[in-house]
Amino acid sequence: MKEVPRRIYYLFSPFLRIFHWVMVACILTLFVTGLFITKPVGLLATDPTSTMLTMDMIRSIHFLAAFIFCAVFILRIYGFIVNKGDRLFPRVWEGHFYSETIEVALHYMLLKPSHAPFLRNPLARMSYAGLYAMVFVEILTGFAMYFPTNMNSIGGTIFSWVNIALGGEFMTHLVHHYVAWFIIVFVIGHVYMVVRADFMEGEGEASSMISGIKILEHVPKDVNEIESRE
Amino acid sequence: MKHVVVDPVTRIEGHLRVEVQVDEASGKVQDAISSGTAWRGLELVMNDRDPRDAWAYIQRICGVCTTAHALASLRAVEDALGITIPKNAHYIRSIMAASQTIQDHVIHFYHLHALDWVSPLEALKADPIATAHLQSVVLQNYKLPFTGPAKIDTEAYPKEFPQAAPEYFDTFKKKIQAIVESGQLGIFAAQWWDHPDYQLLPPEVHLLAVTHYLEMLDKQREIVIPHVILGGKNPHPHYMVGGMPCSISLDDGNAPLNTARLNIVDRAINTTRSLVNNFYLPDVLAIGALYVQKGYVDGGGLSKERVLGFGDYPDEPFSGASDGSYFKNQLIRCNGVVENFGKGVAQAVYTELKSEDITSPEVLTEGVEHAWYEYPGHKSDESLHPWDGITSAKFAGPKEGTETDWKALNEQGKYSWLKTPKWRGKLCEVGPLARYIIIYTKAKKGVLGEPTWAEKMILDQIDAVSKVLKLQPEVWMPTMVGRTAVRALEAQVNSEMSRYFFDKLIANIKSGDTKVANTDKWDPKTWPKEAKGVGLYEAPRGALSHWIVIKNGKTANYQAIVPTTWNACPRDDKAGHGAYEQAMMDTKVKIPDKPLEIVKVVRSFDPCMACATH
Amino acid sequence: MDKRESMWDVYLRKGISRRSFLKGCAALTAMMGLSTDMLSEVVEAAEAKPLPVVIWLHGHECTGCDESFLRSASPLASDVVLNNIDLEYSHVLSAGSGEPFEAHLEETIQKYAGQYILAVEGAVSTKDNGIYCMTGGKPFVQTLQRVAKGAAAVIAYGTCATSGGIQAANPNPTGSSGISHFIGDKPLVNVPGCPPIPEVMTGVIMHVALFGKLPPLDGDGRPKQFYGNRIHDTCYRRPFFDAGLFAESYDDKGSKAGWCLYKLGCRGPETYNSCGNMRWYQGMSYPIQSGAPCIGCSNAHFWDEAPFSKRLPEYGPLGDIDKIGAGLAVATGVGVVAHGALSTIQKKKRQEAEQAEHDEKQVKK
Ligand code: HEM
Ligand code: HEM
Ligand code: NFV
Ligand code: SF4
Ligand code: SF4
Ligand code: F3S
Ligand SMILES: [Mg+2]
Repeated sequence: MKEVPRRIYYLFSPFLRIFHWVMVACILTLFVTGLFITKPVGLLATDPTSTMLTMDMIRSIHFLAAFIFCAVFILRIYGFIVNKGDRLFPRVWEGHFYSETIEVALHYMLLKPSHAPFLRNPLARMSYAGLYAMVFVEILTGFAMYFPTNMNSIGGTIFSWVNIALGGEFMTHLVHHYVAWFIIVFVIGHVYMVVRADFMEGEGEASSMISGIKILEHVPKDVNEIESRE
Repeated sequence: MKHVVVDPVTRIEGHLRVEVQVDEASGKVQDAISSGTAWRGLELVMNDRDPRDAWAYIQRICGVCTTAHALASLRAVEDALGITIPKNAHYIRSIMAASQTIQDHVIHFYHLHALDWVSPLEALKADPIATAHLQSVVLQNYKLPFTGPAKIDTEAYPKEFPQAAPEYFDTFKKKIQAIVESGQLGIFAAQWWDHPDYQLLPPEVHLLAVTHYLEMLDKQREIVIPHVILGGKNPHPHYMVGGMPCSISLDDGNAPLNTARLNIVDRAINTTRSLVNNFYLPDVLAIGALYVQKGYVDGGGLSKERVLGFGDYPDEPFSGASDGSYFKNQLIRCNGVVENFGKGVAQAVYTELKSEDITSPEVLTEGVEHAWYEYPGHKSDESLHPWDGITSAKFAGPKEGTETDWKALNEQGKYSWLKTPKWRGKLCEVGPLARYIIIYTKAKKGVLGEPTWAEKMILDQIDAVSKVLKLQPEVWMPTMVGRTAVRALEAQVNSEMSRYFFDKLIANIKSGDTKVANTDKWDPKTWPKEAKGVGLYEAPRGALSHWIVIKNGKTANYQAIVPTTWNACPRDDKAGHGAYEQAMMDTKVKIPDKPLEIVKVVRSFDPCMACATH
Repeated sequence: MDKRESMWDVYLRKGISRRSFLKGCAALTAMMGLSTDMLSEVVEAAEAKPLPVVIWLHGHECTGCDESFLRSASPLASDVVLNNIDLEYSHVLSAGSGEPFEAHLEETIQKYAGQYILAVEGAVSTKDNGIYCMTGGKPFVQTLQRVAKGAAAVIAYGTCATSGGIQAANPNPTGSSGISHFIGDKPLVNVPGCPPIPEVMTGVIMHVALFGKLPPLDGDGRPKQFYGNRIHDTCYRRPFFDAGLFAESYDDKGSKAGWCLYKLGCRGPETYNSCGNMRWYQGMSYPIQSGAPCIGCSNAHFWDEAPFSKRLPEYGPLGDIDKIGAGLAVATGVGVVAHGALSTIQKKKRQEAEQAEHDEKQVKK
């Protein structure tokens, strides 16, 4: 049709990208095993002499995924330190953040044909911050359920306050379980948004989490957040 | 006229205040107030709960008659949903009911009531040798030989038998002595030990009773061992709607109930029987006989005029009380009202209580004229049937003093957290005494028909005690002593009841039936959109009824009318005084400043205020 | 203060030999879950410390906690009440009543100021100035505050006292709550359970009697000895949980075989109590062993964590969170597809508009 001049922006460090995909695997694993923990199905168990410890196994997978997930967070943090592109989180202290959010929201409500170009639009930024908050809740509540097997352990000492703060460990289970569902709802929306952005703007959104780059036609409004321009 | 207040009345369950107007010259009580001073609102807590959980919540009405409310609640829910529980579950629940009643009665006599009759200080005057002799005499004269039809008897000989050795009583005397000398009386502090009534019994009776007080403090726990096996714990054992959770299997070592576990239940039933037959019943009769001999046949109050019962121990599972099946094969058919028993059996009137009466909006009702509640949209003296019952608190201050510092309650206005339950607009006394009066009257009037084994036992007991006391039942039964004595008789019947249902349980398992739960209606999807149910139960303190309205799978209204509510209720402007108030007014007070007689007659009801107000 | 005796004094006075005294101590040591090398410490504590004076108050309660206390077998309730503590005030066991009894309370508070243990059973009702729980003509909350002032320490017995219990369950008609906010800054031991296990109740008070100090507590004020484990972590049915062997409904094959009750709603996985290890009646049973799922009766707000037959609460016809969540996920999916379709149209329009603009520009040129 027409040639549009585009510019490549380097956004995501390899650390973030590896983290992202490990996170994807972990969260899906955690969610599925988590549901089985609440509502076990008599999968392999037939009699007590069977050595297939179904629940034990499912829980172990859950905990393994949980620990891997926590471990790869180091990559995310490292990326945050070394690469500006990894820092695109909401800047709520900057006034334009709100007007821009409204603008983007209007676009997604299909009331505006397009929104200003961003490396990462403020709404997406909010959703990722939200996801991290939810994941943080899962980690807190998860460990608060995991460690008290030995109350006197370091983990038990560090995390037992969560159960008290929530009004009892039953609430911890509920919060952990409810938030899990909200994470899944995020995931559906997120994957759609990524695909949609790609389709709508054609800026290489989807591939960015593999390649680390986005290709934009217009100069994004938040470009100064990854490049210092005099 | 002297205004005497006792608040708190102790050695009861809960918060009770009584006030009496005593004529100092004659010692006569002119007016009496009984007030339940705490209310928790548990009927309101029930709203919107899952009816399958109702038993757990409402059981917390009381941890003394701990299982009573759970059972009544289960019956109400099962009545509403049309569930008949399996045989095994019915037998198991009956064993639990009987052991509960006995344990409650034993605790009541020794630990709540005994110190009104005997004193540790008097015990110190006793001669241990004479006490040992007395023990033998008591066992000889006051043991009642009655048993039920149970065939299984696994016990070689009674393992719990009172000691009649001087050294034994000497040990206890020394123990009491040491406590008294230490100057720290602990639980024995601050009683009117110098009251002349403590002189009525010889010191040896005091030593014997106080010794057994201490013995039973350690022993009572074994009576409810069946709860621990069958319901997992006591107080507040666990149940389920539709049967029992304790599955039976003779193939599984891990089964909640198998031979080994049943043997623990059996052992506890044997122990209980011994405790009742060798300690409780002889002790009560010995003390009671001495009191009666000295002319103490007062404190009867309302029991002379009107008593009420629902009957209990259906022999086999039933489908409910609303449809009348609950009344069909009871082992103790005290379902009805006896009026004017105090005037003699000939003049007494028996009115049967049928299923139509239970569901009729007129027969069983509660009023709130003098209670700290209101019925919005109704007249102040209106009474409501519990299915339409309302629990809406409306506190009003006392007559003298402030809302938070009472001097005298307002008998003209509202003064208690108990509602006023009525049968056909009249007040009734309930309890073991009521049950016995009804069975006895029915038998004498020839309306009982062929007595069941339990009823026959009751009639034999009444006969035997009348011989011991050399008084007619209508004289000794409706009295303070009678109320306390009948409770012990009832414990004996219940200890046979446990054995009877244990036999049935074993026979049924033997026949190959191990079912304990009917789960056909477990899923709320199988329930009607709206259903009403009632659960009747003869609790340790008397006739108990739970009423539930279920809408869309949730509890829409829950009402309980509790034995102590019947007995301790505030007055009704038309119907007069409740049982506590009447009993107090039927009692003489020697020293108004030391109203021992008042607390004693009130305690003869075994007050349970948490039950009463809930 | 003059006449207070140590447990050893009591034993001497009662003519009990040192050997049987030591035997008693050994039994206590075992019962409190302490290793026997603690025995010398137990003996020392028992020999030196005077009998603690205990005042037991009742608020909004059902007396199930007293009853449980009386069920204790090691120590026996009689041994506790007559030999190891000096129980000066109790509405259930005390002989006295009315005015002299209330006067005795005041005397005790003064005589043992700063030294007595206050045991509280039941919740505190505060709504409408506390008139829903009156005793001695005064609101219980006032008595509690008055007696707590002079206490050395406070023991909250039962879930009612620790966190409000049944009467505090929704809608909490009397504004009831646990006692912690009404006892000032006094050291508090929380002994939850509805009721607590008998030997846990007596164990806490025996710890005070023997060691002269409160037992080590967790962050929730509960004695670690008795509340340090979840029932699920000590439950004898745990192997069945791990193996995935569950009772699917009451009285099924799994129930008879004693398999795990998780699917019937068991609250063991989040309940801290000694039911799994000590059990009731010295190891005889606990609800789970009798086939009944735990309802979590030692958890702070367990009454409002129902239905007990389900692991997840249900919201009427909507069902539980798994149903709602799945619905939400599907709805989001549908929303996403619809949004996608609309976006395609939007994109087309935009492109058309751009094209038109572009064409216009071309024309102008
Ligand atoms: C469990 C599923 C997933 C979760 C929890 C998740 C979470 C996240 C988070 C938190 C970010 C922000 C990264 C940061 O800046 O720290 C992100 C970005 C991204 N994700 Fe995912 N993601 C998931 C699945 C996917 C999938 C399946 C794709 C591929 C289609 C994808 C593609 C992307 C892309 C392209 C970005 C960058 C978007 C942008 O910068 O605006 N994600 N994801
Ligand atoms: C996105 C992250 C996670 C998701 C979606 C997730 C999901 C779930 C779900 C749905 C449950 C069942 C909850 C219940 O009803 O009891 C569960 C249980 C659990 N999760 Fe997670 N979880 C996540 C992270 C974690 C983490 C980081 C830990 C830390 C160790 C953890 C530990 C646990 C534990 C201990 C349980 C209870 C297991 C049991 O009761 O046997 N989870 N999880
Ligand atoms: N009143 C009463 Fe109960 C009994 N018995 C109840 O049903 O004691 Ni607490
Ligand atoms: S905690 Fe339970 S048993 Fe104890 S008083 Fe409260 S309701 Fe009763
Ligand atoms: S029965 Fe309850 S406590 Fe025991 S293992 Fe199963 S879930 Fe855990
Ligand atoms: S219900 Fe309570 S008694 Fe134990 S097993 Fe559960 S904590
Ligand atoms: Mg009621």
